[in-house]
This record gives sequence, structure tokens and C-alpha cells, in this order.
Amino acid sequence: MIRYTLTRLALLLLGLLVASVLIFLTLRVLPGDIAQLIAGTNSTPEQVEGIRQRLGLNQPLVAQYLDWIAGVFRGDLGSSLLTGSSVTSELAEKAQVTVPLGIMSLTIALLFSLPFGVLSAMRRGRADGTALSVGAQTLAAVPVVWAGMMLVVVFAVWLGWLPAQGFPRAGWDEPAAALRSLLLPALTIGIVEGAMLMRFVRSATMQAVGQDYVRTAAAKGLTRNAALIRHGLPNVGLSVVTVLGLQVAGIIVGAVVIEQLFTLPGIGRMLVADVSARDLPKVQGELLVLTGFVLVVGFVVDLLHRFIDPRQREST
Amino acid sequence: MLRRTSLAAAALLAAGALLLTACTGGSAPEPTSTPEPDADATAIIRLVLEPGNLDIRETAGAALDQILVDNIYQGLVSRTPEQEVVPALAEDWEISSDGLTYTFTLREGVTFHDGQELTPQDVVWSLQTRKDTPEWSDSSRLANVATIAAEGQEITLTLTEPDSSLLWNLTGRAGLVLKEGDTVVYQTNANGTGPFALDTWRQGDSITFARYDDYWGDAAQVAEVVFDYIPDNQAALNAALAGEVDAVTGFDANLKEQIEATGEFALVLGESTDKGTLAFNQAPGGPLADQRVRQAIRQAIDHDAFIESGQSGETLYGPIPSLDPGYEDLSDVAPYDPEASRALLAEAGVEDLTLELTIPSFYSTTIPQILVSDLNEVGITLEVSSVDFPTWLNDVYINKDYDLSFVLHTEARDFENWANPEYYFTYDNPEVQELYAQSLAATEETEAADLLAQAARIVSEDAAGDWLYNGASVVAVGTNITGMPSINVNERLNLAELAKSNG
Repeated sequence: MIRYTLTRLALLLLGLLVASVLIFLTLRVLPGDIAQLIAGTNSTPEQVEGIRQRLGLNQPLVAQYLDWIAGVFRGDLGSSLLTGSSVTSELAEKAQVTVPLGIMSLTIALLFSLPFGVLSAMRRGRADGTALSVGAQTLAAVPVVWAGMMLVVVFAVWLGWLPAQGFPRAGWDEPAAALRSLLLPALTIGIVEGAMLMRFVRSATMQAVGQDYVRTAAAKGLTRNAALIRHGLPNVGLSVVTVLGLQVAGIIVGAVVIEQLFTLPGIGRMLVADVSARDLPKVQGELLVLTGFVLVVGFVVDLLHRFIDPRQREST
Repeated sequence: MLRRTSLAAAALLAAGALLLTACTGGSAPEPTSTPEPDADATAIIRLVLEPGNLDIRETAGAALDQILVDNIYQGLVSRTPEQEVVPALAEDWEISSDGLTYTFTLREGVTFHDGQELTPQDVVWSLQTRKDTPEWSDSSRLANVATIAAEGQEITLTLTEPDSSLLWNLTGRAGLVLKEGDTVVYQTNANGTGPFALDTWRQGDSITFARYDDYWGDAAQVAEVVFDYIPDNQAALNAALAGEVDAVTGFDANLKEQIEATGEFALVLGESTDKGTLAFNQAPGGPLADQRVRQAIRQAIDHDAFIESGQSGETLYGPIPSLDPGYEDLSDVAPYDPEASRALLAEAGVEDLTLELTIPSFYSTTIPQILVSDLNEVGITLEVSSVDFPTWLNDVYINKDYDLSFVLHTEARDFENWANPEYYFTYDNPEVQELYAQSLAATEETEAADLLAQAARIVSEDAAGDWLYNGASVVAVGTNITGMPSINVNERLNLAELAKSNG
């Protein structure tokens, strides 16, 4: 187990290093630069050059990269060329929207996919089971944007129960208002992600039904459902933990889209704005943190998987 | 279990439908009897484009001018929505008959938002630093200023040669007055002399201004203004319908009925200097170097279609919109005529022409759609390349690597770009450059405007570009809001008169 953990940790660090190079280089391929954006469409070349000089954009790429990475090792992710504020503080501020949004989305996705997924597997071949399965297929195919717009029309515009967009200006000082404003966005991501997760839970459950140990338990006198719940579900849980790692990445991507739609001041919206402002030092810091987060989640899930699954634990 | 849930869901939906009919049935607007403005009110205004930072010295873009100039920062002079020059920090001014000396009388008792006093030296320093710092926006607009000096409250500018655009330029960035040696962090903060002070900027969300109580003029009528940045028009409509905003700028006139159906909003269309500019890369060697080909493109385009699709704005057939001096109706220069267009192309010997249109992705897709089908009609294949704005800046503005380009130029009085052969328009006509220079040197306003009109006609006759439309300011204003500007709000949004009443 310890050897496995160390190998896996080395892989994680290597992954981060490779990611940092990729992030840095792909951003440099983007045409246009921030100096030109600051100077605008009535600018002179001297004006642009002066701004470029001041922002240090004329340095060679290798020097820029090393500068950045050295900062990262010191715990300094960089800062915005536009506002001067540090990536860390910006992320911490926007995380107040995106992290609760992610947690709520994930909770909604799980609350809805676990029971319905198991149910649709157990009721396989019957009308309600099929209906659930078809429903999930349909929902999973729905674009997040469309789902969001429908929810807004019904709950914000028609019923007026929830805000159509935005986040309270007082933030979490008004917890009820903040929660209300995140509910529709979280529902949107949660339903679409949950529908995908539900199909996964369903197939994992069905697989478990066919396993020898479930059949043996049934042969020993348990009903099929009781056997499944007692012996099958822990294995389903195991598969779900694995797929949750992937789900986290899905939720981050979902947040980028949904924060645009609901104009939420979160990490996703900031990222899009920073890319279109070509505030590259800020973007690369943000992307590194997000990539790091996904990689760490994958790392934890892998360890967890080893730990939960006795078969894998013993093999190392 | 399942059956019960679905029944419950059906019941809920039915209840929702009932509620819905109840809502739409009972929301007729109550006629209000001249309501009292609420001095403690917060007015929430939807804007489209959030500035990247607030540095008024250096960062270009109408998103900054729109909210910061007039409301927070002021110059010696300002401009009305109708584009008239009016006093601001100067009570009065005088221009010598030779047009070489400008004397401004500075107001007394003006303070900055942090309490510091405005001194004549601040004005001199601001103008001089602007002129001497090329990185600051519009610094070149003070190029003709030789000396800037203060004596008592008199500020005197002397010029090397007459400049009929100077006073106008002083109403913009070039003339803004900052506190000398101020320690404010301009990127995220502000310190000006206007009726509002910056309260908070929540990046990616909103900017809040608060009334400045020690303002030298009439105090603002609302306690707070919140600019809520909502890029998407549908989301803005939803916000309006849900009662989350008091006014919506940059709106889509096609959504007029939907927003007015509530009885809470009225749609107002104002003039603007927004010019939907189709640039032709006419550098020698390319197919668009031939005036006949450019003229053929202009005559192939049905300009009325843009007005109809947007339900707002006016057609424009030259570089100067009706709000600016030098405007003239030039519709006779390039009337819609596909037949004539085909003839011109044949005369120029052009067959199977394929051109690429580079257009920033935030503009409506209707624009390229109309162009593709109109040009197809006369045998030109138009390929559309939709790019993000920094890419447009790089490819079109800097490298001039394009055939056709579309951008909405919002700046007022920006004819200079047609007189600048280095500009991305790639238009180089010495006659136009000479007329523009004469217009700047003119000391009479009417003479200056007349020379501009002559130059503008030549630009249009040369088919140096095409103007798809002159946009309108489309603003939906809450029925309890007064004093909301409606003209050219993309460029300036002076909120000194804005008031909100309860009810």
C-alpha cells in the first residue's frame, strides 16, 4: 500500500509538471495580446509597445515560464496583469460561489442518481424501470444550457420562486439569498450530471445482480433484492466512487457553462473573462489550480478504491 | 411509490399552470401620479460589457468611459448626450479668435472623493502628464497643445496650430482631471470629482457607485447605482421580468413586446454614434484594391435588412453618423442594386470571387447571414471567420490580414481613422487627408463641419468601406425611473439626473 501510494504520488507530481508546460504553451498560441487590448482600437504602436514593456511581455518564453514555475514552488501562483490582484486571492474569492455550487450539484446528482439508478436496475424489464432508464437517457443527452434555460423560465420567470440570474451582492452574509441563487444552477448541473451517473449506477447494479456472490446469497434463502442490497450495493458503491472522480471534472466544466448562463461571479466566469482579456498569468494560475484539483481528486479516488476493495488491497 | 410521485408531479405542474394564468391576468400597470423620487433608492442598471480594469488613464474601451467619465471623473468640459460641449470643472471658457489660446475658469470648492481639494495645479498636471505619456489613452489628442499654465483659477492652453477638435477632445479621456500625486490604485479603485464615488467592484458581477455628498453641483438623486453586468440579452430579459433590474441597456428591440408586457418597463430607442463598419482591405494587389469591386459589394448589400432584423437603428451610407458634425445623407452614393453590382463586377473582370469576413464572435450571427446571402446573389462567395476579439485585434487591426472585417465602431467623431493610411481600414487618399487637416485647422465650427462633410463624401464615393447600419441605443427603462439617458449610452451614461420612485 505504501509503495503504491508513493508511486501514485510521483505520478501526480509528474502530471502537474507536464500540465504546467502544456497550459503555458497552449495559452501562448492564442493570437492577440493584453497590451493591444488595453490600448484599444485607437492606439499607436508606441502606446502598445510601452504597455508591453511595462508588463514584461517582451521577455523570452522560457524566462517567463521559469519565472512562473519558480513562483509556484514558492507558493505564488502569479497575479493579474489587469488588476494586480493575486491569483490565490481571486480564486479564494470566486471559490465562494463555485465550491458551494459544485457541492450542491454533486449532492443533487447523487441524491437523484443512486436511488433511481438502483431502482431502474431492479425494475428492469418493467414499465417503470424502462421509463426511468429512458428518462435518464434523455436527460443525459440534454445540453446543460438548455436545461438551465428551461428551469429559469419555469421557476424564475413563471413562478418567481428563485432568482433568474446573479448572486446576492452581500454574498454569504445573506446565506438564504445566496443559497437560493445557487439552487437553479446546481439543479441544472445536478440533473444533467445525475442522469449520466444514474445510467452508470444502473449498469453497475445490473452487473452486481449477475455476480456469483449475489446468486449464492439468493440460493441461501435471501430474496433477490435483499441479496442485492446486502452484497451487491457495496460493490456498486465502489464503482460509483471511481466514476465520481470523473464526475468532478464534469462538474467543473458544467460550472464554466452554467456560471455564464446565470451570470454567477464564480471561477468559471472569471476564467472565460480572463481568457478573452488575454490575462495569461492569471489564466495559467487558475488552470493549474483546477488541473491540480482534478488530478488530486483522481489520486484520492485511486487510493480510496484500493482501500475499500479488499481484492486490490491484498494484491499489493 | 413511483405512481404517487408522478401524480404529485402532475398536480404540481397543474398548480404551476394555474399560478401562471393568475400572474399574467393580474399585472396591469397602475397609473402613477407623479411619484416622489426616493433619495435613499438604489437603482440597478443592466450593462453588457464589464471593463477589464478601471484604469481610466490607460485602459481603452467604451466600457470604462460609459460609467466612469462624468459620473466619477470629470474634465474641464463635458458633453451632453446630444453631443454638445458644456461646462464641467470649468465654469466658463474663452477661445481666442485665432484659435490658438484657450482660457478656462476653474470652479472653486471642488473636492475629490477622498476629500482632497482640486487645485489649478492638478488640472495643469493632468493635461501635461496625459500629453507626455504615450501609454495613456488619447495622449496624441493633445499633440497641438504647446503650453498649459495656471494663474489663479485661470487655466490657459496655447496651441501650435488651431485645432477645431480640441474642445471636443477635452470632453473625453484626454481632458480628465486627476489628483496630482494621488496614491489611489487606479486599476481597481477610483478617485474623481464627479457626483458618484466608486463603492465596490465585484469582478465578474457588478460595480456599485454611491452618491458623493460633497459634490460641487446638484447632488445625485439616488443613493446608489449598481451596474449589473449581464452579457446575454435573454438573461437580461429574465432579470427584468423577475424584477431584478431597473433599467436594461444594450437591449434587443426584438424583445420589446416581451419586456413591455409586464407593464413595468418601456422601451426607448435613442440615437447613437455606433457605426456597423464593414472594412475592405484595399491594399494593392488584392481583389478589393479595385474601387469597382468595393462599390459592387456595397450595392449588393440590402442595408434595410439590418435595420429590420434589429428592429432599431438607421441606415448609414458614409463614415459620419447623424449625431456628429459633417453628417450628410449619402444614400445616393451606394443604393441597393444587385443588377448594377453584377455589372460592376463584370466590368472589373471579376469572376468566382471568394472573400473572407473576419468578425468578432460577440456580434449577432444575423449580420454575416445577411452578408453571405446578399453577396451570393451577385456571385461572390463569402466565407465567415468568427473569432474572439483579441484575435480580431491581432489579425485585422495589427496585421491587416483580412479581406472584409466587421466591427461596431462606437466612438463619436472618429473620422480621423479614414484620414490615417496606417489604420486597419487601409484607405489612403491624400485628398481626404488634406480636407481633414483643413477641417482641424478651421476656426469656425460650421467651416470645420463642412470640410468634414466633403471628405466623408469622397470616402463613401471611393467605397473605402461600407456602413451596414447606424445603431440605436436600445434601453428598457423601468416605469419608476426618470432621468435615464437614452442617447449614445454605449459611450457615455451620465447618471446625474437618474431618479427612482417607490411604486
